[in-house]
Amino acid sequence: MMKRVSLAVLALMLLALIGCSKAPEAEMQAAKSAIDAAKAAEAEQYAPASYKVANDTLTAANAAKTEQDSKFALFRSYGKSKDMFVRAQALANKAAAEAEQEKERVKQEVMAMMAQVQAAVDTANAALTKAPKGKDTKAELAMIKNDLDALTPQMAAAKTDFDNGKYLVAKASYESIMAKAKSITDEIAAAAAKKAGAKAAPAPKAAKKGK
Amino acid sequence: MIGNRLFSRGTAVNGGPFGKYRVPSHRPNLRRRSKILIVVALLLIPAAYITYLFLNPVLPPMGALDNAKWALEGAAKAGALRYSEKTYRAAEEQMQAGWMEIAHQNGRLAPFRDYRVADSMLGEAYQTAMRAARETGQTVTNLESTTLAERADYRDELANWEDALNGSLAKLDVARYYKSAELSLATCDRLIEAREYQEARESMALGRIWLQKLATSLNSYDNDGQGEIRTWRRWVQETLDDSRAGGGYAVIVNKSAHKLYIVKAGKAIKSFDAELGYNSAHQKTFAGDGATPEGKYQVSVARPRGSRYYKALLINYPNDADKHRFQDNKTKGVISARSHIGSLIEIHGEGGRGKDWTEGCVALTNHDMDQLMQYVGAGTPVTIVRKSDQWP
Repeated sequence: MMKRVSLAVLALMLLALIGCSKAPEAEMQAAKSAIDAAKAAEAEQYAPASYKVANDTLTAANAAKTEQDSKFALFRSYGKSKDMFVRAQALANKAAAEAEQEKERVKQEVMAMMAQVQAAVDTANAALTKAPKGKDTKAELAMIKNDLDALTPQMAAAKTDFDNGKYLVAKASYESIMAKAKSITDEIAAAAAKKAGAKAAPAPKAAKKGK
Repeated sequence: MIGNRLFSRGTAVNGGPFGKYRVPSHRPNLRRRSKILIVVALLLIPAAYITYLFLNPVLPPMGALDNAKWALEGAAKAGALRYSEKTYRAAEEQMQAGWMEIAHQNGRLAPFRDYRVADSMLGEAYQTAMRAARETGQTVTNLESTTLAERADYRDELANWEDALNGSLAKLDVARYYKSAELSLATCDRLIEAREYQEARESMALGRIWLQKLATSLNSYDNDGQGEIRTWRRWVQETLDDSRAGGGYAVIVNKSAHKLYIVKAGKAIKSFDAELGYNSAHQKTFAGDGATPEGKYQVSVARPRGSRYYKALLINYPNDADKHRFQDNKTKGVISARSHIGSLIEIHGEGGRGKDWTEGCVALTNHDMDQLMQYVGAGTPVTIVRKSDQWP
């Protein structure tokens, strides 16, 4: 009787041992998939620190698993590597989420800039419409209109870059357009001031020439 | 017998006191003991060595692993993922393989651990990562110098175009292309500042497309005038012939050259730089279009004083041909039915601004205007052409 009980206990212990020594393949696959997903989400570019931690944790988990693989079957214990794979998966998911957030932040930043640029261009257009026209300013205003017209295709090009996810290029383009639109508004104001100055001190027999 | 006894105390083999004797019995025991001692010693030495190894195992090359990690991090920071990704990924794989080899050896019994392969792998990973960093540095340096050189060329190109445009009547028509190209340069500058050289080059490439459009437009403008050049040539010739025949003065304005010539008896006696309407690439079609008219006119009124622009010579624009063209354009719907033909086209002073700025008049510097007024008065023929290959 005692012999049978002893054998049963031994069998149970062996089963427990074998159970513990099962490699965490599922967790490993899940962690790898999560890292691949983070990479696909451009986490290396948009969340490099978090991605690095996740990737290092995955490599450390792989190392822990490899270490256990190399041991004699009865001495294997994958508990640590399993935990690490789970942690690597969580970290990879976090890195992917951070990357998405960062991309969204940059996107929103460029979108906000897009609206500001449109407003600046609208302001410049409005100023041009209201600008007093005269012989001294008409040529300048015609050139300024040219400048303003040149902004339209540039805005379209910046929008294309934005739509293609080239946020940095789009941002640089919008910054250039914004600076130009502001300088145009200033030019119009200067032309208006010049016209106002001319009106304040009219030349004798001021006749409008060259109609 | 006595001798035998003395020298051989062993047991008799064949029985009897007078038989043969063997070696004494304690001698084999000594040999056996020696053998046992040797075996024990042979077992103890490796056992001791193994015990020693258990107690003092070979350490994994963690320093090499850290070095490889450090080199990889440095390469990543330098931009290897972007500029030398293949080499970087190779280093990453080598590092991971080395790490796995360490883990593999760690899993073995201490005496059997051998980290030499791992050490070698990690050494290679370090070297590869350093190479990735070097390649990146080299690529970035090359890209930077290429981009900066291209930008310098592009700036020169833009400056040349600016000069060409400033002397061109078509400036207003084509300046938008130049402005777009200029804006591309501004974007390029920002991208270079952000060390985004590839994108900066793309921005310049876009700018060059605008410059190409500018060149095409200017060429087509030049070609447009080919049909009318005979007319302009004839006007110039007639003006010179009339001046020669009568021995009188005449004024010829070449819009393309921005020149005003004073002609006497068919010969140019003076020429001045002239500024024109801001949109003088074309014939004047209606009031306010900013174009200087082209045709054969006369000075209708000379204003040596009282002009807003120093001194002025009013010409008889519109002439009959202008009126006919204006009506024709209106009828065809080329211009608005509400548009006017315009008037008050003068040659006047206050010029010298370095650009075409009038609404259609011809502007000279006050000094040149003083000289012109010495020769020209009411009735003097004034011929204005866009361009001509025949000059006094």
